Amino acid sequence: MILTVADLDVAYGKARAVSGVSLHVAEGEMVFIVGRNGAGKTTLLKTVAGFLAPAAGTVTFDGRVTNGLPAERMAVRGLRYVFQDKRVFSQLTVRENIELAAYPTGVKMAAAIDTVVGIHPGIRRFLDSKAGGLSGGQRQLLLLGRALIGSPKLLLIDEPTEGLAAGTIREVFTVLSGMKGHLSMVIVEQNLPVVSQLADRIYAMREGRILGELTEPADIKDRAKVEAFL
Amino acid sequence: MKTICRFERWRRVDILLVAAAFLLLAPVLSVQRTTDFMIFCIFVLAYDLLYGHMGRLSFGHMLYLGLGAYAAALCAEHLNDNPFFALFAGTLGGALAGVILGPIVVRTTGACFALINLAFNQVGYFLVVAAFAEWTSGENGMSASFAPIGGFDLGNRYLMFGVTLISLLVVVLLMRRLTDSPFGLLLRTIKENERRSIFLGYNTYLYKWLAFTISTAVAGFAGALSSLNYAFVTPSFIDPARSVEVVFAALIGGAGSVYGALVGGVAFMAISNYLPNFVQRWEMFLGVVLLLLVFKFREGIWGYLLRLQTARLGEKSR
Amino acid sequence: MIGTIAYGLTIGGILYIISIGLSLTFGTMRIVNFAHALVYTLGAYVLVSVLPRVGNLFPVAAVIAVLVTVPLAYVIERYVIRQLYGSQSIDYAIIATYAVLLIGIDAIKWVWGAAPISLSDPIGLAVPVLGVELPLYRLVIIGVAIAIFFLMEGFFRRTVVGKIVVAGLEDREAVRSLGIEVDRYFTIVFLIGSALAALGGVLYAPITSVHPYMGFQVILVCFAVVLVGGLGSLRGTFVAAFALGLVIAVTGRFWGSAAETMVFVVMAVVLIFKPIEV
Repeated sequence: MILTVADLDVAYGKARAVSGVSLHVAEGEMVFIVGRNGAGKTTLLKTVAGFLAPAAGTVTFDGRVTNGLPAERMAVRGLRYVFQDKRVFSQLTVRENIELAAYPTGVKMAAAIDTVVGIHPGIRRFLDSKAGGLSGGQRQLLLLGRALIGSPKLLLIDEPTEGLAAGTIREVFTVLSGMKGHLSMVIVEQNLPVVSQLADRIYAMREGRILGELTEPADIKDRAKVEAFL
Repeated sequence: MKTICRFERWRRVDILLVAAAFLLLAPVLSVQRTTDFMIFCIFVLAYDLLYGHMGRLSFGHMLYLGLGAYAAALCAEHLNDNPFFALFAGTLGGALAGVILGPIVVRTTGACFALINLAFNQVGYFLVVAAFAEWTSGENGMSASFAPIGGFDLGNRYLMFGVTLISLLVVVLLMRRLTDSPFGLLLRTIKENERRSIFLGYNTYLYKWLAFTISTAVAGFAGALSSLNYAFVTPSFIDPARSVEVVFAALIGGAGSVYGALVGGVAFMAISNYLPNFVQRWEMFLGVVLLLLVFKFREGIWGYLLRLQTARLGEKSR
Repeated sequence: MIGTIAYGLTIGGILYIISIGLSLTFGTMRIVNFAHALVYTLGAYVLVSVLPRVGNLFPVAAVIAVLVTVPLAYVIERYVIRQLYGSQSIDYAIIATYAVLLIGIDAIKWVWGAAPISLSDPIGLAVPVLGVELPLYRLVIIGVAIAIFFLMEGFFRRTVVGKIVVAGLEDREAVRSLGIEVDRYFTIVFLIGSALAALGGVLYAPITSVHPYMGFQVILVCFAVVLVGGLGSLRGTFVAAFALGLVIAVTGRFWGSAAETMVFVVMAVVLIFKPIEV
C-alpha cells in the first residue's frame, strides 16, 4: 500500500469534519472519493497531505507514519497535492511557475518543462506569459503537469474537472487516463461519468464518514450504481 | 444545574457587589484615587466592547477619551458650565467621532484597524496641541471649571465619587445588557466568523459601526468625567502613546467580559499608580508584562478565576 | 521651493527604505511589526556610538550599525512573531511587537539616555541644483533609495528566493505543497526588511535628531505609506513613499506642525476611495 489511512478524525473548529475514516490506496491505483459538498473530502485530502493535523488516527504513506508531518515534508517525500480552484501563481509566468515546482526536486528546467508540455503541448506558447492570464482549463493542466515534476509517488487531486467546459473536461480526462497505472492517485471528483470510466475503486463520503466502497469493476462501470452509491 | 443557579444568583446582585467593592476600596486608597480608578474602568468597559466582544484591536482609543474631555472642558468654557451638560457634550463628542470615523475604520480588521485608530489618534493629538491650540491652550492644557448646581458642587470629592460610582454602575448595566442581548451575540459572531453573519443576512457593516459608536461615546463619557474630576484637561488625555494602557487593562483583566474589564481597570490603575514607586523602568515593565500576558496568560485574571470556578464546580457535581 | 522638493524626496527615500520591511512583513504575515520601529531607532543609536570609534568614517559605521541590528531582528522574529503566527493570533502579535518596542525604547533610554542627540552631516558639502544649493548628503539618500528599489526589483523578479516570496505572498499553501518551506523564506525577507529599517535609521540620523521615540514617529507614517501604496506591493510603496514625503515637506513649509498629520489626512482620503478589506 502506498497510502493507508486508519480511523482518521479531523476537527474543524468545534465540529468534526472527518470521523473515523479509513481507506487505502495500492501502488498504481486510481482511487476516487465522491460525495456531496461539505462531506469532508477536501479536509480529508488536506490532512493526508499535511496541511491539517488530525485529532486522532494515522496516515501511513510509503511505509512511514506521517500524520503530523507538515505539507512541505510530505511533498518532498513524494506526495503531491493539487488544490481545488485551480490556483496558480498568477503574478509569475508559466515558466516561473514550473521553475518553483522544479526547485525543491532538483529536476532541471528543461526536463521540468518537458514534463508539463508532455501533458499539455499547447502550453508551450504561454511559457512566458503571466500564469494569471490562463484559462481555467489551461491552469488545471498546468497544475497537473507541475505536480508530475520530480516523479511523485502519490497524487492527491481535488476536483479537477470542476467549473470546466465539456471540451476541457475531455482534455483533463485524457491526461488522467494517460497517468493511470503509472502512479497512484486519490482524486476527489463530482463528475460521475469521469469517475465511472477511470476509477479502480470508489469511496463515498458523507458528513465526514466513509459510507462505503465500490471495488468490483462491473459496479464501477455501471453509472447507475455509482449514483445510487452517493 | 447547580452551576447555573449559582451564577444566576450572583448575576442578579452583581451591581450591588460592584458598588460594594468600590465603596470598600475608597477608604483603602482614598476617595479621589478610587474615583480615578472608576473612570478608567468606564474607559476599559467602552474599549472592551470593541476588543473583547467584537474582536477588533484598536491602538488609538485615547482619541475618544480625549475628545470627550476636551469637549466637556470647552463646553464649560464657552457654552454652559453646568457639569451635566458638559458630560453630555463629552459623550456626544465621542459619539460623533464614532459616527464620522466609523465608516472608514470599521471596514478594516486586524492590523489595519489597530493602526488606523492610532493614526487618527495622532491626528487628534495634533489638533489639540497645535491646530486648535488657541482654544485648548495647546501643550499646557486648559482648566475646566464647572459651576455648582443647586448645592451639587462637584469639586467636593465625595460628591464626585458618588456621581462617578453611579455612572460606572449605569455603564456596567448598559454593557451587560448589550452583551447579553442578540446584539452582543451578533458582535461575537462577527468576531468569530464575519462571513457567516453576512451569509445569515445581517448587515454586519451597520452593526460594526453601531458598536464602534457606542464604544467611542462611552469613552467620550469617561473623558468628560475625567474633565470634571481633575478640573483640567491636558494633551496627555489624548496622547496616542497612552492608548496601550487600555489594551493592557483589557488583557490583564480578561477580554470579553464586563467583570474582566472592571478587574483589568483596577489592576492597571493599581500597577500604574503604585508600582513606579518601586520600579524605575516603568515602560520596560509594562512591555514585559504585556508579553507575558500575550504568551502565557491570555485569559486574564477574570478568565482565570472563571476557569478555576467552573473546574471546581465541575468536580463537586461529580 | 526646490529645496522643499529635495527635502521631500529625501524624506520619501528614507520612508521607502524603512517601509519595504513593513510592507513585506505585512504581506507575508499579515501583522504590523511595531518592533520594526525599534530596529530603525537602534540603527541610529548604534551609529552614534560606533562613529567615534571608527574615526568618524560614516560608511563604515553605517555598515556596522546595520549588521549589529540583524541578530536582534532575528530574535524578534523567532521568539515573538513566529510564535504568534496564524490568523487567530494577529492581534496578539501586534500587541507583542508593541510590547517589544516599549521594552526596547526603555532599554535605549537606559543605555543612551533620553536626551536627543544630533549628528552632523557626514558629507558637509552642498551641490548647486537648479540654482539652489542642496546638501549633497540628501541627494545621496535619494540615490540610495533608488538603488535599493532596483535591487528589490531584481531580487523579486529574478532570483528564485524572490519568486518564492512573490508566490508565497499570493498563495502560501500552494508554495508549501511544492515542498518549499515558505516560512523560512519569509524569515529571510523579514531580516532583509529589518536591515533596511536599520539603514533607514542610520541614513536619517544626521538629518533629524536621534531620540528614543524617533521610531514611534516614523512607523505611523510608514504605515500610511504601506496602506496608500497597497499592501505588499513594493512598487506602490516606492511611489507612495515619495508622494507622502513630498506631502510632508510641502505641508511643513506652509504649516510646520501639520506636516505629518497631513499624511494621515491623505491616508484617510485614500481609504475612503479605496477601502481595504484585510
